[in-house]
Amino acid sequence: MTISLGQGLIVSLFAIIAGADFWLEGFYIFRPMIVCTVTGFLLGDLRLGIVAGGLTELAFAGLTPVGGTQPPNPIMAGIMTVVLAYTTGHNPATAIGLSLPFSILMQYIILFYYSAFSLFTRKMMEYANKAETKKFTWLVLTPTFIVALTYGVFTFLCVYAAQAPMSHLVNAMPGWLSHGFEIAGGILPAVGFAMLLKNMLKNQYVPYLLLGFTAACFIKFGNLMPVAVIGIALALIEFARAKKDRDMNKKMRDIEENANNGGDNDGI
Amino acid sequence: MESSPQEPKRGKLSKRDVRNIGLLSIFNQSAMNYQLMQAGGWTLAILPALKKVYGKDKKGLSAAMKGNLEFMNTNNYAAPLLMGLEMSLEEHGESRSTIDGLRVALFGPLAGIGDAITWFTILPIVAGITASFAKEGSILGPLVFFLVYVAMFLLRMPIAQLGYAAGTKAVERIRQDSAIVSHAASVLGCTVIGGLIATYVQITVKSKIAVTATKSISIQKAFFDNIFPNILPLAYTFLLFYLVKKKNVSPVVLIVITFVLAIILSWLGVL
Repeated sequence: MTISLGQGLIVSLFAIIAGADFWLEGFYIFRPMIVCTVTGFLLGDLRLGIVAGGLTELAFAGLTPVGGTQPPNPIMAGIMTVVLAYTTGHNPATAIGLSLPFSILMQYIILFYYSAFSLFTRKMMEYANKAETKKFTWLVLTPTFIVALTYGVFTFLCVYAAQAPMSHLVNAMPGWLSHGFEIAGGILPAVGFAMLLKNMLKNQYVPYLLLGFTAACFIKFGNLMPVAVIGIALALIEFARAKKDRDMNKKMRDIEENANNGGDNDGI
Repeated sequence: MESSPQEPKRGKLSKRDVRNIGLLSIFNQSAMNYQLMQAGGWTLAILPALKKVYGKDKKGLSAAMKGNLEFMNTNNYAAPLLMGLEMSLEEHGESRSTIDGLRVALFGPLAGIGDAITWFTILPIVAGITASFAKEGSILGPLVFFLVYVAMFLLRMPIAQLGYAAGTKAVERIRQDSAIVSHAASVLGCTVIGGLIATYVQITVKSKIAVTATKSISIQKAFFDNIFPNILPLAYTFLLFYLVKKKNVSPVVLIVITFVLAIILSWLGVL
């Protein structure tokens, strides 16, 4: 079966909504379970959509965008699994594999956006500086609109206009270029940390930075909890010490004041 | 460590304002990028609350917006908790350094807990159960899946209120020792940032030195990893820190440099 222009458009419209939802991680309609079901419904084969949804959801269960990483795109995987099963007559399980190039290409586009949107931050700071809340709001929402629109265009190209050239493009992208994007993604948080340290790192805090770094290097654990606990311990030690210092200073000042008063009222 | 606890002439947040923080937290990732991650969307989500708290105090609002535009990357269901907590501190006129220090210290651990609960516990369970329905072609699968996540979204409101209540209680104590707390918060914050550098920044050298025709030594494994793990991420972060702090290089330039470097080094096969 082929996809009509109308079907292509309405699936793209859904991709816009699901794309914005994935970007924001709002209602989880971006998960293959929902994406496949809706796509199947829009193409007039609800049952195919639901079955594909179950299969694709399980295939993608371990691929989660945790900690700012990007898995192969669940929306494109969902849409293309159903579309390919619908058009080629393959069963959904095979279609999942065929959908992967589309899903990976979209993953790269999102990775590119993660980097590109770094360029928005300077303007954000500028608006924050002037407390221009309206302009700030629109600026922060702009990436979401761009991403959502990209999903719409990309989906339309994949679903209706150019299925074959799309998958060729994925295979044709030189390895060093896509790898370069991947590497840049791994290094770019350093820019964020450098900016953070600019405001926070006074000389007296350098030891703690080194302690936290070392702890994270050698404590292999799924999250940063151990480092945070060490940080809390250090903070409590410092808190107690600083408090003692302050009380001590206060006492010293009291004694000094008494001495200056001639020391005649305490009889020493 | 400036301490000015006697100045809070700030607006009061109603229960509805706090619930709205929960709803608006959906925009947390609106401006997601590698440099500041969620910071833009984070600030947007608490902006109406900040506006109410600071009222006509434009300077305070601008300082608060700037303070919040720092690297932020947490779990999306933990975000409203932290937002609620932060807003109760803002409302009570805590110093910027205390608020920012606490936020930076807390977002990482909360991300860990939140991800463990939402991505690695709830999602596999819900997906596993509903997929078994769906595979049989039952609409119950996607329907239940959808309803669970609508409920999860609505939970953001009570989560925000939880954070706000926790903050109001903590505030009393913090007030007494503002400067000391801010110092301790900086200690915690810097410790965690050290940990963040080690976990988030990834640089692995691929180059190998050929010793004989068949044998070669990996520079990363034989050299850098033997000195100290993650030494390159630390060195690169400090280099950028130096450029930002001492040479006033703009972050955009640093991003472009990083990008060009990454692609060239990838092409050369070094990274």
